[in-house]
Amino acid sequence: MAKAKTPITSGNIILFIITLLIALVFVFPIFFNIMSAFKSNAAILRDAIAFPTEFYTDSFKYLLTKTDYPRAMLNSAFLTVGSIIAMVVIIPMAAYAIERTNRKWTNAIYIFFLFGMMVPFQVYMIPLFKQLNMMGLFGNLMGPIMIYIAGSVGFGVLLYTSFLKGVPREIEESAEIDGCSRIGIFWRIVFPLLGPVTASMVVLQGLGIWNDFLMPMLVLPSGQTKTMIVELFYYVGEFSSRWDMIFAGTTMSLVPVLVAFLSLQKYFVKGVSSGAIKG
Amino acid sequence: MNAANSGMKKKQWWRNYAIWFILPAFLLYTTFVMVPTFSSIYLSFTSWDGISDNIRYIGLENFKEIWNSPRVHNALTNTIIVAVALVLLENIVALVLAILVDQVRWFKNLFRSIFYFPVLMSGIIMGFIWMIILNYNFGVVNQVLDMIGLSAIKTDWLGNPDYALLSIILSTVWKAAGYYMIIYLAGLQGIPQELLEAASIDGAGKWKQFIHVTFPLLAGATTVCVMLSMINSLKLFDQIAVMTNGGPGFATETLTYIIYRVAFGEGRQGFGTALAIVLFILILIISLIQIRLLRKREVQM
Repeated sequence: MAKAKTPITSGNIILFIITLLIALVFVFPIFFNIMSAFKSNAAILRDAIAFPTEFYTDSFKYLLTKTDYPRAMLNSAFLTVGSIIAMVVIIPMAAYAIERTNRKWTNAIYIFFLFGMMVPFQVYMIPLFKQLNMMGLFGNLMGPIMIYIAGSVGFGVLLYTSFLKGVPREIEESAEIDGCSRIGIFWRIVFPLLGPVTASMVVLQGLGIWNDFLMPMLVLPSGQTKTMIVELFYYVGEFSSRWDMIFAGTTMSLVPVLVAFLSLQKYFVKGVSSGAIKG
Repeated sequence: MNAANSGMKKKQWWRNYAIWFILPAFLLYTTFVMVPTFSSIYLSFTSWDGISDNIRYIGLENFKEIWNSPRVHNALTNTIIVAVALVLLENIVALVLAILVDQVRWFKNLFRSIFYFPVLMSGIIMGFIWMIILNYNFGVVNQVLDMIGLSAIKTDWLGNPDYALLSIILSTVWKAAGYYMIIYLAGLQGIPQELLEAASIDGAGKWKQFIHVTFPLLAGATTVCVMLSMINSLKLFDQIAVMTNGGPGFATETLTYIIYRVAFGEGRQGFGTALAIVLFILILIISLIQIRLLRKREVQM
């Protein structure tokens, strides 16, 4: 903090004011959302900008007691946590075997996995839909979990293998001589060293799954409770005249994201740059 | 693992741990990404409706229809407009934000978090908030326009075909710019201060320093951001779904959106997969260019 000693110039102040004004534009929609969640529908329609005059929580109560929203929240949480745990078990193991074996066949598999990064979900969603039906996974929460894991193999393997290149093999070799099994070596010695990549992947993929819309909407049939985001999408159509309800719903789905962001900020930022440079 | 460590004995294939480590990822990936991707290629030559078991092969008919359909052309034009506008605007805004956050004297981290937070929101939520903000009767934008005496330019931002696409583009810039800001910020912080000082001793003002020193040194970050923003703009979907549903008319229908509408709204899944193949080829070309450019950069560095 050597800079703190230099005198404050007018340039500093002008720059600060400009930044502050732009920041207000960026904050406003989020602030507007949370503020509106505590207003009654009539109050929102009367004056959208006005600050709430009363602390109105009926829309939250209605959503939590009279609709499927709590169930949808559970579904979202289950999908996110379930997929993330499975990813963290499956993907680093595959990346480790590919990087350490480094033979023709593992390189071929590596290229095969990377190819998936270029295929957007929209390209394979139509046959996937039919395939889930055939496999009896349509409408089952296991379906989306497997699709999420499969969809993140390319990106995950890429992140882990490039990190593993910088992890020295000596410890593994000595553990092998001591008679430790491969699975033991991986989970006890290598995996703990992969912490930064795991954190980035958990944060980025977790967020992606929590916020995902198209896939859960397609593979969870109508008539069954879906995920928070999908339910919110339907509410926009169903309760088109009850904005307070939807604002309450969006606020509830934003809170976990906000909490995760504030407590794991470092990993969010790191995740972005690692994904960008490698991807 | 008795024989494994010596490497002297020829191992039986099933003793190789690598196979068992890779297998789960391989099976899931093959079943849920590769098989449907290749089925897509097959289905694109059929007139399948998504329900019947009777899948009729119709050769290149779907692709001919894509070539001739005004609706598809409109969607392609919209996709290109969205891609070009988003790439330009997102990168300009992101760069400005990165410079501001880098230079501002107080609350750097707070500002960075504020600009970044919209990135974390789902497109559905963000689309809903903006839909209300842009609403004709009760929305914030029109209310503010009324207050400052500009009622004349009030319009139904999402209901007017002339402004609907623009509204989606601008609100997407709000949502996504923070992501690219982080990448530019990392680039800015990697620029050695001595270079800028040397330039300033040589008499270069702030603007000249930016044009001749800072910007060229951000080339790497720019390549990454342009490519990422282009691919992401081609995949734009959630905002459109909640804000306009492709409308009014077909005014905001993009390639990804027409695939969804045709396949699941109109029961023409064969045609939908043919469109998906077109999208895939587009993204493939862009990804290949990206890989080339990134390689080139590595060599130079």
